[in-house]
Amino acid sequence: MNKKLLIYVVFIISAVLFSGCEATYARYATKGSEFPKMYEQQPRSILILPPMNESTDAEAKDYYMTTIEMPFALMGYYTFPSEMVSEIMKQEGVYDTEILYNMPLDKFYDYFGADTVLFTHIKKWDLSYAVLASKLTIQIEAKIVSTKTSEELWKYTGTVVVDLSGQNSGGGIAGLIAGAIVTAVNSAAADYVEYAHMANRRIIYSLPTGPYHEMYMKDQNVRIVDQTPRK
Amino acid sequence: MNKKTTLVSLSIGLIVFTLSGCNGQPKPLYTYGDYSESYYNSKKNVSKESALKLQKSIEYAIENADKSRSKRVAPGMYANLGYMYLLDGESAKAIESFNKEKIIYPESTRFMDRMIHKVEVAQGNNNE
Repeated sequence: MNKKLLIYVVFIISAVLFSGCEATYARYATKGSEFPKMYEQQPRSILILPPMNESTDAEAKDYYMTTIEMPFALMGYYTFPSEMVSEIMKQEGVYDTEILYNMPLDKFYDYFGADTVLFTHIKKWDLSYAVLASKLTIQIEAKIVSTKTSEELWKYTGTVVVDLSGQNSGGGIAGLIAGAIVTAVNSAAADYVEYAHMANRRIIYSLPTGPYHEMYMKDQNVRIVDQTPRK
Repeated sequence: MNKKTTLVSLSIGLIVFTLSGCNGQPKPLYTYGDYSESYYNSKKNVSKESALKLQKSIEYAIENADKSRSKRVAPGMYANLGYMYLLDGESAKAIESFNKEKIIYPESTRFMDRMIHKVEVAQGNNNE
């Protein structure tokens, strides 16, 4: 009986471990091995630039912009207020994200005193239709670059795929039509911001923590999913 | 019977542990209240009301900073508020907020000094 109990406990513990929070088939690395320059340069602040929208949704840029600041601040960095920064840049005559993304990086230090700049690319923010299903994909690539050395210190990508057809659980043709209407309404509102937050969560956990976090300079051994392509 | 009880309680314990695993978090580092929602809303429905709601959210986050783990006002909150005052033409309150941002976060010094300088130059022009 004791042995049975033991097996049972071992089984549950391994189930807990394997279910985890992350994808099952993934290679792992550590924050320290993936992003050593974050630990060497120890930046304190991040200037969040408006996102570069490479998706088909024109509104994605404005909406995604509202989600970036909080996760990076909560990881212990000083984050410059993104909306205000964007307004100030416009007053300085820089309206175009493309121009902003190609500016010499030391300018961001001169003007704002920022240690690093955060570039975000909205790779996908798209709804794809099929006969019976529609699928939403949000993919964000984020990159932190030093304003002093122009080196890339950290880069990570987060992807969220949502099956929106799951919303019509009601069966039959009526359910199908209702589902189609729901999808159309959803896509018109482009209200995908909650999934953008989810994509951010899949990105941010890989970032070494900053000086305002208790784990600062102590999280080199934290495991993350290795996104570096295998040679 | 006893063993069964042990087994049941052990299972319940593990299930609770598993469920809490991914979601259970300590107090957040900063108080944000509904800042994120208000910010998003101010972009989605650009109006006086949504802008005012955003300002209210920022004020709430500042007032409730002591409820967070760090007990500090979140980065950028005072700067945001100062910028709103500036747009409303309340120069003195704007400068006061920019200075508060600088005191809490010295990382913002260069930017805040630049903003304060801007306000002062604009004030000087108005007084002439």
